[in-house]
Amino acid sequence: MFGRTKTNWVAMIFLSIGSLCILFPIYMAIMVSLKNPQELAQSVLGFPTQIHWGNFQQAMAVTHYFHTFLNSLFITFFAVVLTVLTHSMVAYAIARNMQKRFFRYLYNYFFAAMFVPFPILMLPLVRQMSHLGLADRVGLIILYIIYGISQNVFLYVGYLKSVPLELEEAALVDGANRWRIFWSVVFPLMAPMNATVAILTGLWAWNDFLLPLVMLSNPNQYTLPLVQYAFQSQYSTNYSLAFASYLLALLPMVIVYIFCQKWIVNNVTKGAIK
Amino acid sequence: MKRYLGFTSATVVATLVLATGCGSSTNTTSNNGSSAGESGNNGQKVTLEFLQNKPEVVNEWNSLIKRFEQQNPNIQVKQINPPNTDTTLQADLAKGQVPDIVAMGADATFIQMAKNGVFKDLSGSPELQKVSKAYVNMLENEVGKPTPYAIPYTVNAVPIIYNVDLFNKYHLTIPKTWNQLMSEAQKIKQEGGTPFYNGFKDAWTIAPIWNALSTNTEGPNFLKDLAAGKTTFVKSDAIAANQLRQFTALGQPNQFGVDYNDANSAFANGKSVFYAQGIWTLPVIRSDNPKIQLGTFVVPVTNDPSQIKMVSGVDSLLAVANSGNASKEAAAMKFIDFLLQSKTAGQYATVAGLFSTVKGVKNTDPALAPLQPYINSGRVVDFDDHYYPAAMAAGNQYESVLQGALSKNQSSSQLLQQLDSLYQSAAAHQ
Amino acid sequence: MKSLRNSFAFILMTVPMALLFFYFHTWPALHGIFLSFTDWNGFGPYHFIGLQNYMDLLHDKQIRHAYVFTFEFAIVTTILVNIVSLLIALALNAKIKLSRTFRAVFFLPYVLSTLIVSFIFNYLFSNLIPNIAQALHLPALAQNILGTQWAWVGIVIVSVWQGASFNTLLYLAGLQTIPEDVYEASNIDGASAWVTFWRITFPLIMPFFTINMVLAAKSYLQVFDQVVGMTNGGPGTATQSNTFVIYTNGFGGGELAYQSANAVVFLIILVCVALIQVRLTRGREVQF
Repeated sequence: MFGRTKTNWVAMIFLSIGSLCILFPIYMAIMVSLKNPQELAQSVLGFPTQIHWGNFQQAMAVTHYFHTFLNSLFITFFAVVLTVLTHSMVAYAIARNMQKRFFRYLYNYFFAAMFVPFPILMLPLVRQMSHLGLADRVGLIILYIIYGISQNVFLYVGYLKSVPLELEEAALVDGANRWRIFWSVVFPLMAPMNATVAILTGLWAWNDFLLPLVMLSNPNQYTLPLVQYAFQSQYSTNYSLAFASYLLALLPMVIVYIFCQKWIVNNVTKGAIK
Repeated sequence: MKRYLGFTSATVVATLVLATGCGSSTNTTSNNGSSAGESGNNGQKVTLEFLQNKPEVVNEWNSLIKRFEQQNPNIQVKQINPPNTDTTLQADLAKGQVPDIVAMGADATFIQMAKNGVFKDLSGSPELQKVSKAYVNMLENEVGKPTPYAIPYTVNAVPIIYNVDLFNKYHLTIPKTWNQLMSEAQKIKQEGGTPFYNGFKDAWTIAPIWNALSTNTEGPNFLKDLAAGKTTFVKSDAIAANQLRQFTALGQPNQFGVDYNDANSAFANGKSVFYAQGIWTLPVIRSDNPKIQLGTFVVPVTNDPSQIKMVSGVDSLLAVANSGNASKEAAAMKFIDFLLQSKTAGQYATVAGLFSTVKGVKNTDPALAPLQPYINSGRVVDFDDHYYPAAMAAGNQYESVLQGALSKNQSSSQLLQQLDSLYQSAAAHQ
Repeated sequence: MKSLRNSFAFILMTVPMALLFFYFHTWPALHGIFLSFTDWNGFGPYHFIGLQNYMDLLHDKQIRHAYVFTFEFAIVTTILVNIVSLLIALALNAKIKLSRTFRAVFFLPYVLSTLIVSFIFNYLFSNLIPNIAQALHLPALAQNILGTQWAWVGIVIVSVWQGASFNTLLYLAGLQTIPEDVYEASNIDGASAWVTFWRITFPLIMPFFTINMVLAAKSYLQVFDQVVGMTNGGPGTATQSNTFVIYTNGFGGGELAYQSANAVVFLIILVCVALIQVRLTRGREVQF
């Protein structure tokens, strides 16, 4: 629809308007967070005459920002690392044994689970996890690993179809066992898909709201989104404070995105094409 | 492709470095967490989880807790103030992890928990002697057993709050009957003002006025008859529903798009003459505008002033969980003793804008003076919704029905029919 | 011997994870199905009541409405997200200046928390727009859309704002698999941009279209964060999604067993939707 030879101004205008739509709410959030309530009452969107960084300091103190940040980081980090390590292995075993009934069934089992909506297990799960003493951060990590399997095994198996068998066979002839082959040959070959899975899992675990909401009962373990929810009513009409807190919660991912934008986009795309 | 791989490995290394750094720092936090837990168990220091449901008074609770901890260095109290207490508490119940002390309203969630033996039976404890017997009885009535599962701490009331300056500007007098209130409101509207400001985007904000209207018009046996299947909302609450619709018609145009906090601040800044909310909003309004002059009067629901009762319920009760841990329960009672000291009780009631149940403690706020006689002479009636089935009252269920019907401007009978069908299905899933 | 050790290794690679998956995923799901035949309220004793919960579901207006809202929302949002993201992807794939900047901007919402984005939009709809409209004396816009019967539109807007980024990413990936000479050939034939799109581009990215539809439908049918962040289901029950109802009534209203029955019905419906989608797209090699 958009021409490909000269610079396409229709596309440029469309994208510019679209960008404004994307950036406007973020701009508004920043402007609100930098004002004091009096200035906010006069103008929401104008630049503040004096920047009130104090909102951010106060928000950090109220939400125990660093502690909460570390909670989110702890959960996300272990969810990502363990997901990549275990799911690649499971997928490898499945992909190389698709001709065997057990592995084919297992694949279909994981795949079918993709269609099971979370609400059906939510209520019993909460009880089960707390009986195990796992209604906490560790339990969340376990659940992110478990509930990511369906999608990730699907992604990995798809990718492994394109990874040639020769290298593995050569290693097998050399007498290496399956574990060695997996860790030293196959796992590195899957690097692009490992990255895709890591990004998808990381974004999910970092931004998720429903699982922490139902699982965590100790406020000391709250994640960044959950803390925003928990403190929402306490901000009352101090929107500057609330928005400072929202922005602080969004900030870590935005920083990662700014520095790794190309890498994130490339890898999610890789996951998409194969 | 090669360049790409190079880039990936570089980032992998970078993330690993980052990750190891983060890993060690998170370890320290988890250690902190566990060490705090252990110190609770070794008998030296008891940590109490204290859940309270009022976001307005989080800071006040924090300062009370601080004072208590200074006096009792072996007890640590951790305040939890979740946004939807109902849902949080029931999720905690499903997990079998109930907070050690709970300060909450005498609502359906409390009743359900008390009925199921979640809270300690406080029969015979000396703390009961310190508070008003009437409200101890009220709690027992709600639970439906002559057993005190909680100590009433503060009592609220639903009046109509008014902005004194605007009230005088429109040359109004305190309305004694519903007709007077409506004609004054009409007059304000005709002169270009806003009579009532409502924060109906939060469904629960409809509850105070609904309870004031329904309890005064549906007859004293309504709840019993409803439970016995002898009456319905359609049959008994037609007057209340009509009045609620009349009332809503006099609210500001955007009333379903404004939440509780924004409504408080709008009323504080002179956007309307009247505000139909519980007395717990008075401190919030004053913090939004310290200069505002406020007055209150009991909602004149009927046209016979001698019949009017004020809706007043237990705003915060104090209940101790049956944890099976004697040292925790003892510490919890210590905290309650501290809260029942007249100095503490008076301070909390004043900051929260409520009446204290502790004997001899009075709220000195002059804005509340017109309501005090009703409390003193017992011309009060408990909230209806404290007796609705849990699935109807918890999680803003019935308020959502009211909100939906009013925002769509449905007729009174449509509104009441929906309440009835909600009641039917809620009663069926108890 | 070697092959035996081989398959033992493969078994060890998969079986522990499969067992964990069963224990943390399938077991609670089965437990939920079991509970749906009881009258359990979350604590205390319970009794079997057979299909009673399911019979009650049939007459429950609130739940019926939640299904209607969930499906209307999911269909509208899925379609809009796909149109918007396909347009953005086409524009990004055209010859443009600042292409990297534009990409960075359009993918940004993907990394943001849905809940917080919803809080930000809540302020935009509840405070910013009504205040501006009031200042400009436009009473029609001075209403907070989230307090009217159009509240669902607000939730759709947030979902499109945020959801378009991921789908754009996938479409763009699809567009980049189309070699340049295909377009050149079409240009030589003198085909218009419109014709080129429908004859060449769209069929070639059809697999991406399908996968986008499936993924979007799946996530929007379970909408929750946006509802909590903006309307809490209101006004009335207008924007209560099914996940929201299961959460609030299941935990808050003590209807654990009843809402489990609702969740079972939800599962059956979602599986049907998935089967229909798979059937419609069968024969096309979709890889994700």
